[in-house]
Amino acid sequence: MPAEELGPLPAGRHGYSREQVAHHQRERLIAGLAAAVAKRGYAAVTLADIVREAKVSRRVFYANFEGKEQCFLAAFEVVVDHLRELVGEAVEAVEGWPRQAIAATRAALRFLAAEPDLARLCLLESRGAGPAVNARFNEAVAELAPLLARGRAERPAGERPLPGSTEDSTLGALVSLVHRKVATGEPERLEELLPECAELVLLPYLGPAEAARLAREAT
Amino acid sequence: MFGNVPQFRYRFRTNGNWRYPGSVRALPGKASRQPPGPEPVSRDAAAADQRRRILRATAELIAERGYQETTMEEIVRRAKVGYATFYKHYADREAAFLALLDAAFDRTVSRVEDAYKREEGPWADRVGAALGVLFADVAANPEVARVCLVEAVAAGAEPAARHEAALKRLAPLLRPGRELNPRQAELPESLEETLAGGVVWVLGQRLIAGEADKLRGLFPETLEFLLRPYVGEDEAAREAGEVAEAISA
Repeated sequence: MPAEELGPLPAGRHGYSREQVAHHQRERLIAGLAAAVAKRGYAAVTLADIVREAKVSRRVFYANFEGKEQCFLAAFEVVVDHLRELVGEAVEAVEGWPRQAIAATRAALRFLAAEPDLARLCLLESRGAGPAVNARFNEAVAELAPLLARGRAERPAGERPLPGSTEDSTLGALVSLVHRKVATGEPERLEELLPECAELVLLPYLGPAEAARLAREAT
Repeated sequence: MFGNVPQFRYRFRTNGNWRYPGSVRALPGKASRQPPGPEPVSRDAAAADQRRRILRATAELIAERGYQETTMEEIVRRAKVGYATFYKHYADREAAFLALLDAAFDRTVSRVEDAYKREEGPWADRVGAALGVLFADVAANPEVARVCLVEAVAAGAEPAARHEAALKRLAPLLRPGRELNPRQAELPESLEETLAGGVVWVLGQRLIAGEADKLRGLFPETLEFLLRPYVGEDEAAREAGEVAEAISA
């Protein structure tokens, strides 16, 4: 979603329908916000920054969004949608839950490492971008719980069931780990966290020895 | 404009000097006004009471509506102090918020550290004692806990740094568990902070869901989560089971 791929439409008769232009403008505003947030952080970004980056007018901004928080929310959704797609594809490409969990983790980390500005946007800036964005952040994390919970079926029959909060605490640990990497200014190195993340995810379901073996294999 | 009428009244009573005299007969403001009596309140006690009221009001309001939505006007109104009194203690809204975080984090983390030190049993028991105090503190002050664990992360760089620093203080309590793991050399350097992050995340989610009253059941589960990477599942589950039994007894 880099802004440069979404240049302004050619002036004059371009043959696009009104809906196509509107859609294009919305996309440009979202990319404009992402670019502005990357440059100066969400708190400091003004509407003027967003429309300058997007090369559209304020009127167009207000036709699409109520304000900067709503625009940020839209940008956050775009990144989360993309991550969801990547994770889904990664899961479908391999067999067996442990490999699927590793593949999903790798896909997410690889995308975020390749797009450090978007990693900062959805992992760091999102936390300070108001209650609506925060609620969406929590929901996006919670969406991953069922993927983890499928690991419960890997446990030998008759084994004591895992505590109900296992997925929540594991996801919290993942968020904390990934967040720290981004907060310390190293989003480009997120993929290095793959073995650690994979081990965290697998550990409750497969036990320490097997989790460590598969996590090592993942690199 | 007429917001400081009570202050006017107070100024009148103290001969035009609206700063505190060496002692006053009652604390200003209605919140904690004491029955008139012979015991004068010292200037220090009055100032400490004002700070306590300001921080409590700040905590309540932020827990109710989030940091961004909390205004100075609401803080002074709820704390029953004037603007001038507020500014005598704190430079602005964020300064009060940070003072609140510092006090609350330090109080709870110190209590958690004490519980860990006081417990003389094996490491897992010490972690259990420490975690028990954390859960008890959160359950006893869900509003303050929500401010520290949820709102601080969402309120910008400084408050988030306070949250991060508190997590760092918890890491040394977990670290000795490495000795119990045959693969200790392979454990990632940041494991303790990551696990502590998992615990406060779960607590935060429960507070968001308004389930502060259901933390008892979560405590043994969270202990198991913390111990598992060090001692393996069986031992972690055994320890959690003991704690669960002790709670229900």
